[in-house]
Amino acid sequence: MTKTMIKTTDLTKRFGDKTAVDHLNMEVYEGEIFGLLGVNGAGKTTTIRMLTGLSAITEGDAVVMGHSVRNALQEIKKITNISPQETAVAGNLTVRENLDFIAKIYGLSQEETRKNRESVFRSLSLDEVQNQKAKTLSGGWQRRLSIAMALITDPKVIFLDEPTLGLDVLARRELWKIISSLKGKVTIILTTHYLDEVEALCDRIAIMAKGHMKALGTAAELKQSTGKEKLEDAFVEIVGGDGV
Amino acid sequence: MRVRAFALRNIKELLRDPLSYIFCLGFPIIMLIVMTIVNGSIPETVVPEGVPIPEGTSMAPTVFQIHKLTPAITVFGLSFLSLFCCMRVSSDRSSAFLMRLYASPMKGTDYIVGYLLPFALIAFSQIIITYTAGDIIALAAGKNTFNVLYMLLSLPLLIPSILLFISLGIIFGVLFNDKAAPGVCSTMITAAALLGGIWMDVDQMGGVWLAICNKLPFYHSVKAARLALAGDFGGMLLPLAICSGFALVLFVLSVFTFVRKTKSDQR
Repeated sequence: MTKTMIKTTDLTKRFGDKTAVDHLNMEVYEGEIFGLLGVNGAGKTTTIRMLTGLSAITEGDAVVMGHSVRNALQEIKKITNISPQETAVAGNLTVRENLDFIAKIYGLSQEETRKNRESVFRSLSLDEVQNQKAKTLSGGWQRRLSIAMALITDPKVIFLDEPTLGLDVLARRELWKIISSLKGKVTIILTTHYLDEVEALCDRIAIMAKGHMKALGTAAELKQSTGKEKLEDAFVEIVGGDGV
Repeated sequence: MRVRAFALRNIKELLRDPLSYIFCLGFPIIMLIVMTIVNGSIPETVVPEGVPIPEGTSMAPTVFQIHKLTPAITVFGLSFLSLFCCMRVSSDRSSAFLMRLYASPMKGTDYIVGYLLPFALIAFSQIIITYTAGDIIALAAGKNTFNVLYMLLSLPLLIPSILLFISLGIIFGVLFNDKAAPGVCSTMITAAALLGGIWMDVDQMGGVWLAICNKLPFYHSVKAARLALAGDFGGMLLPLAICSGFALVLFVLSVFTFVRKTKSDQR
């Protein structure tokens, strides 16, 4: 039986009169890559911000591995990690120091840090730049480091907010390979507005528009339900005039 | 462990920025040398009590005399540390780096102590280096060197000043973005120099200027540093107490501002 890692119940976020996320109900299963797809302002990042405690929940709740975001946020923080939309690295620290720093603030022992660092170096091919300062890395490598910083703590759930935003096509494909390799090892919630990205990476896709979840399913199911051959056409059909 | 890791990261960021060496260490030493040369150019006139000071002369010793200048430059150097603290906090806030940390198990106190500790350590290093430079200059100029015991005893007595300037740095770093914060902090540095009596003897000036200086912490901070290095520990109690009061209030304010801003960021 598939284990539920995240369950949201009427998860809502309002900024004054504006509702950014409106009664969102969804479940994310263990080991899957779950895509939150939508145009800018659809509510994807706000959803991630609520799930990670970066934004207070206005209404409803979310449960991550049995812990309520409202009541047990500190427990959730220990078992999750995030790679934010903007590259979040310490510029004057080397790649290795950035990873060790994150490991320490999550309370990992020296031995755990060493083991996880070696594993992350291998899976993300960071060995060659391990002694390079983060600020001297290209955009693609900085994003790779940002994801590595989310992985070093060996989280059960990882949030990737627009992981390939602003990257060139080669850097994007490189990151896709890395994210794909994580499938089954860790539960990933990925936000993006790139249709080819969700199709290539995600097991299931939630399409969001104006804070509402419009559809949920695999890429094939979404295409089938709309009778379209391309995911782009299916997306336009589902979102319709609510896209912007 | 979290505090240690965050403090270590902040120290590394500071030590790997060449500007911090120029402003935190180089600039105070250059100012010591330049102002000693300026002092040497001022004609010394011993004026009997009650006699008006002749135009174009000055009463000796001036504020540029090495024994008065060194503790004042020490406090001036701390104001540059305030600038770097402010730049660190505002830069972290402007990037997504703090957002990553907000999503981690770090707590409010971890951030404040993590910012405070490394800058306090750098402050002590800066003070020792400024004292040493002042001592060497005194020796070279044929003046009496500093009393080593007074130098050592003055170190803990400068803690309130250190806390004062780091707290100001955190407050400006929290309230302003990375574009505006350095400008605002530079204004504070200028104010600290003018209102602290670093470049001029505000006690001799008196009047409204002295009254304004008395209402702000900088004058008391400089005065406490000068008296401590001169070994007048009894005389320094009042300025030290006033400086400590300001430091405590500003520290509480920095914690309050940081926590409040963090919460508003997470609304």
